[in-house]
Parts: sequence; C-alpha cells; structure tokens
Amino acid sequence: MHNNLRDSLDEKERAFIDQVIAERSSRPGALLGILQAVQNHNPRNYLPMETLHYVAAKTRVPPSQVYSVATFYALFNLQPQGEHTVSICRGTACHTRGSRELLESLVLELGLGQRDDGDSGGADKATLTTADGVFTVRTVACFGQCALAPVVEINHSICGHVNEHTLQRQLKELARESD
Amino acid sequence: MPQKKISIRIDGELVTALEGQTILQAAQEAGKAIPTLCYLEGLSPAGACRICMVEVAGTERLLPACTTPVQEGLAVTTVSARLTQYRRMTVELLLIERNHVCSVCVSNGHCELQAMATSLGITNTRYWYDFPTLPVDMTHERFVLDHNRCILCTRCVRACAELEGANVWDVGGRGIHTRVTSDLAQPWGESPTCTSCGKCVQACPTGALAEKGAAVEEMTKRTDRLTRLAGSKRAQP
Repeated sequence: MHNNLRDSLDEKERAFIDQVIAERSSRPGALLGILQAVQNHNPRNYLPMETLHYVAAKTRVPPSQVYSVATFYALFNLQPQGEHTVSICRGTACHTRGSRELLESLVLELGLGQRDDGDSGGADKATLTTADGVFTVRTVACFGQCALAPVVEINHSICGHVNEHTLQRQLKELARESD
Repeated sequence: MPQKKISIRIDGELVTALEGQTILQAAQEAGKAIPTLCYLEGLSPAGACRICMVEVAGTERLLPACTTPVQEGLAVTTVSARLTQYRRMTVELLLIERNHVCSVCVSNGHCELQAMATSLGITNTRYWYDFPTLPVDMTHERFVLDHNRCILCTRCVRACAELEGANVWDVGGRGIHTRVTSDLAQPWGESPTCTSCGKCVQACPTGALAEKGAAVEEMTKRTDRLTRLAGSKRAQP
C-alpha cells in the first residue's frame, strides 16, 4: 500500500519537495530543514504520510528515521492544523495562575472533547484541532514570559494575564475574521 | 599503528586498557562485570538504559560505562551502595512504565530485565505500575512486537541498522509516548523494508520481540550469534 503513496502527491507538490531537497541535500543534518520547509509549504501546516514517504525516498534516509525525527520535534505536525493556533502555557508559573482552568474552558468552548492531560506527560504534543479546522489548541511548557502568567500565544503573538473572558473575546474576533 | 596502552583503576585494581576503549570494554576484558541492559557486544553503544552507570573519581556525576572512553589515570568504582540504589531505581522505573508481568511472558526465565531485577533484589516496585494501554503488533507472519514489554533499549533498532542494514526500526514519539516503530509507523507485516531476518528478535532483551508460536517461558534469545556475526562483519575488509 505504501508503494503507491508516492503517486498520491500531485506534480506541483513533488516538484516543490524536489527543489527543497536539492537546495539542502549537500549539508549533513539536512532532514530537519527539509521537513520544516515542506511543512511550511503545506496549506494546513502539516506533514502528510505521503509527504514523509516521498521525502524519505528522495533523500534516501530510511523511512523509520524520517518518522522518528518528525514525531520527536513538537514543531512538526502529522495532523492538519487549524487556521488559528492557540498555545496555552502549562509551565509552573502559569499553572499556579490558573492555566489549567483556562485550557479546560477553552476545550469545552471549542467542543474538543476529551484530551490527554498535560500533567501525565502528554503535554509534548497535546494538540487538538476543531472539526471545522478553524482553531488548533496546543499546550506549551513555557514561553519565558512568566511575569505575564497565565500566558497564551495566539497566532505567534503573546497575550499576558489572560482570563477566560478575554480569551473568548479574542477567539470570537478570530472566528469572525475566518468567516 | 598499535593502540596506545593506558592504565586505569577499576575498583582499586590496576588494569591495562587500550586507547579508544570504553570503561565497559576495559572492565570486561579485565574480567569485571558491569551490569548492562541496552549494551550488546557487536552493536554500537547507545547509553539508553543507564544501568551501567559507574562512579569516576573526580566527578560527582555518574557516567555510563558503555559510552565513556578510558583516560590515563581514570579511577572507576563499579560497585557501591549509591550505584546499587540508582540501578534499582532505574529498573523499577522501567518496570512501572510498561506492563511487565513476568508470569505470562514468553521470555519468563530468559529475560534480561527480569534477571537484572532479580540480581538487584527487586521484589516489588515502590511506585504504582502505570498500566498504559499498548497495542501488540501481530501483523508480521513470523514475529510479534509487544509494546507492553518494550524497555526502549534500541537494541532492535541498532541490530537492524548495523547488522542487517535494513533500517526498519527507529523510535517514534518522545517522552512517555516513545514507541519502537517500523518505517512510517505502519504495521510491521506491511513493512516494505523488513527482510524477516529476525535479528531484532534475537537482540531484544525482553519478550517485546518474540517469535510467533512461543508460549510462556518458551522464547529464548541467542544474542551470542549477533555478537559473532558483528565480529565476522568487522573482520571483512
């Protein structure tokens, strides 16, 4: 089944990956850069299995190693990501200022259902995306902005002293923009 | 060029080692046993299990014997109350992380983890078992991968990459979610790279990789064959 995965990538996508690999292949440790460029090129900001398979075949890196790298780094997503990314800090300072309640209320608000609790070690890649593909919620260990706890990062901008009301207001604005 | 000879002390005894050797290799040649789990002679050392930690004079930190190279004047302690405490802790943590239940395991009686626990006098764990829900991959026609018994020593990964050259295995995920995965995490039986050679099964110290058809206590491993194979591979030009 995996041999014909390559065929499921379209011509353009393959050409882009070929170019990315050609630019980097001479350098050792090129895989990280290749995967990052290929992921950024993806409209849903993720690495589909077909892409990983194609990258492995083209770079002649064993598929097992490509998968190992792609699943080790939190940077890489193997699932389609939402239009907006909301990262909730679950570091110590934010935890004491109520980041768990923030996360729980957000999960309820967006209807994300049961989640793997960050405290049991699932924080690494605890990433949840809404069914309509608008929001992705993820947990982060620390942003280094502990004085602003609890901290939430919305689309790469840091928001400090967040509470449930301010968070919901911002998400509503974002949801209106995507409509 | 002959390798330079180095004098080191292991448990107070003066031992001659060769430059480039690890503490573990030097100790083994001198007839001193340092306990190991993830080390398999013939494969590259991984430093994954932390069982072979030793005390080295001049540093507070414990160092893994399998990856630490010898240096002139090194003084190593391989047996101490502190080391036993650390090794016990490590084995207990390995035991609670997966569903290690010896009495129903194919490798009961032939398991390196079980033997290690026994030799360290572990009769129970001071923490609760984590009891994770883990799958068993039965898709391969001859072998079984049981994640419940895996200790992530990566001996299968290294045996496949270094002896067979097939690179079927690697570790996917991280932290508590780390699993041994074949290719792009597809079922083992569908792996296009696996040659069904069985070296990973022989390398596995526990019952995580086993032959199909083996019942409780029936799975014995022949790691000596892998070591011999690695030796003959090295001897080839």
